[in-house]
Amino acid sequence: MLTPASEQAERIATLTNYFFVAAAAILLVVTLLTIIFLVKYRAKPGDNTLPPKIFRSRKAELFIVGIPLALVSFFFVLTLRDMRALEPGADTQHPDVIITGHQWWWQADYPGTGVVAANEIHLPVGRKVLMRLRSADVIHDWWVPELGNKMDLIPGRSNHLWLTIRKPGVYEGACSEFCGQQHAWMRIRVVAQTESEYKAWLAAHAAPAIAPAGELAQRGATVFQEKTCGNCHRIAGTEAKGDAGPDLTHLSSRKTLLAGLMDNTAPNLGRWLNHPQQIKPGAYMPDFLLKPSEREALVAYLVQLK
Amino acid sequence: MKSRLMMKLFIGSEAFFFLSLIVAYLYFWRSAHFTQEALHYLNVKLSGVYTALLLLSSGSLVLAENRQRKRAWRSAHFWLAITIVLGCIFIAGQAHEYLTLISEDLTLGSSEFGSGFFTLTGFHGLHVVAGLVLLAILLGLLLKGHLKKEDALRTAGMYWHFVDAVWLCVFTLIYVLPHYLSL
Amino acid sequence: MMKQWTHIPEPEEQLPDAATERGLLMWLSSVDHKQLGIMYLLASLLFFLLGGLLVLFMRTQLAIAENDFLSPEVYNQFFTMHGTTMIFFVLTPAFLGMGVYLVPLMIGANEMAFPRLNAFSFWMALFGGLLLYFSFLTEGAPDAGWFNYAPLNESNYSTEGIHYYCMGLLLGGIGTVGTAINLIVTILHMRVPGMGYRQMPLFVWMMLVTAFLILAAFPSLNAALAMLLLDRLLHAHFFVTANGGSALLWQHLFWLFGHPEVYILILPAFGIFSEVFQVFSRKPIFGYGFVVASGIAIALLAFGVWVHHMFTTGLGNTVNAFFAASSLLIGVPTGVKIFNWLGTMYKGSIRLSVSMLFAVAFLIEFTIGGLSGISFAIVPIDWQLTDSYYVVAHLHFVFVGGSLFGVFSGLFYWFPKMSGRMLSERLGRWFFWLFVIGFNLTFLIQHVLGMMGMPRRVYTYPQLPYFTLFNFLSTAGAFIMALAVLTLLYNIWRSLRKGEPAGADPWDAYTLEWHAAAPPLLKNFERLPPVRSARPLFDLKHPEQADWKKQEG
Repeated sequence: MLTPASEQAERIATLTNYFFVAAAAILLVVTLLTIIFLVKYRAKPGDNTLPPKIFRSRKAELFIVGIPLALVSFFFVLTLRDMRALEPGADTQHPDVIITGHQWWWQADYPGTGVVAANEIHLPVGRKVLMRLRSADVIHDWWVPELGNKMDLIPGRSNHLWLTIRKPGVYEGACSEFCGQQHAWMRIRVVAQTESEYKAWLAAHAAPAIAPAGELAQRGATVFQEKTCGNCHRIAGTEAKGDAGPDLTHLSSRKTLLAGLMDNTAPNLGRWLNHPQQIKPGAYMPDFLLKPSEREALVAYLVQLK
Repeated sequence: MKSRLMMKLFIGSEAFFFLSLIVAYLYFWRSAHFTQEALHYLNVKLSGVYTALLLLSSGSLVLAENRQRKRAWRSAHFWLAITIVLGCIFIAGQAHEYLTLISEDLTLGSSEFGSGFFTLTGFHGLHVVAGLVLLAILLGLLLKGHLKKEDALRTAGMYWHFVDAVWLCVFTLIYVLPHYLSL
Repeated sequence: MMKQWTHIPEPEEQLPDAATERGLLMWLSSVDHKQLGIMYLLASLLFFLLGGLLVLFMRTQLAIAENDFLSPEVYNQFFTMHGTTMIFFVLTPAFLGMGVYLVPLMIGANEMAFPRLNAFSFWMALFGGLLLYFSFLTEGAPDAGWFNYAPLNESNYSTEGIHYYCMGLLLGGIGTVGTAINLIVTILHMRVPGMGYRQMPLFVWMMLVTAFLILAAFPSLNAALAMLLLDRLLHAHFFVTANGGSALLWQHLFWLFGHPEVYILILPAFGIFSEVFQVFSRKPIFGYGFVVASGIAIALLAFGVWVHHMFTTGLGNTVNAFFAASSLLIGVPTGVKIFNWLGTMYKGSIRLSVSMLFAVAFLIEFTIGGLSGISFAIVPIDWQLTDSYYVVAHLHFVFVGGSLFGVFSGLFYWFPKMSGRMLSERLGRWFFWLFVIGFNLTFLIQHVLGMMGMPRRVYTYPQLPYFTLFNFLSTAGAFIMALAVLTLLYNIWRSLRKGEPAGADPWDAYTLEWHAAAPPLLKNFERLPPVRSARPLFDLKHPEQADWKKQEG
């Protein structure tokens, strides 16, 4: 939130700045008074005279209630103003993207396009985007500090969020509501693109997966089928239609694996397939006890899913 | 004095406990089939009879307190015993109702209604049982002549009346309202 | 007309007491409020050391990015146990212990209203805490956070430890409610003649308000825990979202308890500081009625602010606006007390004992914690910062800089009364400075980490700019605090063996407990001076300048 990059984040940052100024002023007053009193009224050794009694002072009481009341009223008005600007309100029928939280990854569906992505969420800049947030299991929370407010993903409910991203770039975020063992590795990458790049990305990702070329990759596709990977993962254009795990149709176009845990490289992918529970303990991916040759083929297949 | 103040505070705290359970019950009222299930499974007439008996037990306890204050020991024993018998009939009735419902496959785990119903009535039932134990101990002490001060019976009475009042709320909410209201 | 000294009659009914020498058995069977108070404090200390040990492991894990010192499984159990322990089994029993020990002494009574209930409540709370720790012997301790959100708290997402969490907290809750009832009846019925509500020490006032908060707040936690147990053991549906249960119902019930609980843990500290500021500034409190009234206002408002823990759950602007208003409002009575204490120091004759040092440090630390708390009432700021390390920093500034400093301040103030011996002021100063420096090093920087995007409750974090540096500093601070606690333990141990004898009234204090022997005898008082103001001992020592003369004249 220190470097706001959306209209919403800027609004919150401005409000936060106001608040910090007021808070700093109050803290300064309290600290100064404390120090001054400590120095000035410190008991002198051997001095046993009783200090004057001051039981109360109506004027001071009025003052110390009045000023905080005025301050909180001021901030209440600002709260109302900014809340109204930030909350999507009633018109939430047509979200641009539907985010579903899973233990411990993010699914992004783009309604009307058939595109399904995971963990790296592409969004257009310069216009108001409506996000719908849902959960498949426990409560998660969407938080990309540079892009503004967080919002919970709650099973059995749909929440909504407006975003107007200012400029293209990659924005990092993370799940912010404790959601179980791998809560730490449920990170978000928002890739903000210009409208035309975004359209191009959508078009590319609406396409089914590239057919495996080369003998090794083809063998990998067979392994994928034999090991029933398709029960949990989807690869568009093949038999694999599972929806419990991330969509793999365009796996290689992502920068990271496992919701930000590691870079998306062939060796990393191999390590993961070899011992999932050592890389991300608790993840729902079982260890398929792949033979080295099977693993090699599977990696070859997956890395060419661009 | 001290014990009655303690009982008032305890009852106040218990009231918040039941309020939370009632809020939870109401929370699920809008879930699917909630009212239909209430209408289908519950026998409002039979439960109404048990409710009346429980209310009568409050009356008989008041009589017992009264007799004790006038040092009419035998009649105090009698009315206290009547109170306990009425409470036992209520609990027996609830046990019978539970067995019937379970045989009809309504359980804690069968639906939101089941969860809410058994939790709310069950916790009330536990409170009635606790009250019965309390009254039985007092009856024992009274019979042995160890209970000369009025405070104990009056304090226990406050608890018993509270448990009755809670049942009136629960009965209205669970058994009666679904006939008039469908959220 | 001079008021007479009050003679305290012998108790009507002889209680099983500590008069006979029976060693450990005497403590186990005791119903004496002083022994129970000390046992409460010892239990609190035991759990404080356990909870502190857990956090040293956690901070070690977080010292550097992508560390694998602790597995995520263990880390999640540790942070859950840390929070649950510190809130339910450290701060709560510490304040109840002080209340049980001091309230009868301060109101001139010889016992609590219900001595047996007192013992029952203590043992329930202790066994509740022990039960919670038994969970480590099962497949795992609770691992869903101290507020244990649904549906993560259900069997399919979390360990069996959650059973122990429910049972332990239920037992602890029953004990807490028992003690609260006991305190209220004691305060309302057993004050020495002459002590009206305007003459009650502020600590007693704050314990009274706290006890009422406990009575109203704990039942909703107990109800939620009961429902969760029914879910987990008998397959009820309350919080199982897959079967039509509700994730938000748990949050409503939990925070309806949880936010008042925050005040349950800070009002007694306010009471302690109100005593300490008076005695060590050698002045009466500035605005007695004001401190009482704002305490009551806090208690009433406390039940109308719970949704500010749920601003990101999407309840809509109308609900949010209401709870933003109430949450901002509750900041006012909390904040103004700071000025009551400053006003008490004003023109005083300040003696900087360790007890007073903690009180002064509290003024500043609690202002920081209170202000960062206000930022959560401002809904849009909450939307950015909630559930980040900023919250972690905030709640530690309130619970440590507020509540725990209160416990420490009270410990140094009343230890001479409880043990008959003084704690070493020199060692105490070491403790104070190490602890305050460590505390600020640990938590100030966490505000920044939160604003930079570090969510709370993560067992590790990626290598982002400054993350390792800031977290490392934070960890260093935690170890400095641990060192400070060691000096405190040494101080207590040393003082009990060869501390300077304290005498009945080492601080030249004002309230009745200082009239009893140090440590007090089984029967606290044989006779008491007349109580005509909130500072009866001041009136006794300075009859010419007695407080009641000013008030009546």
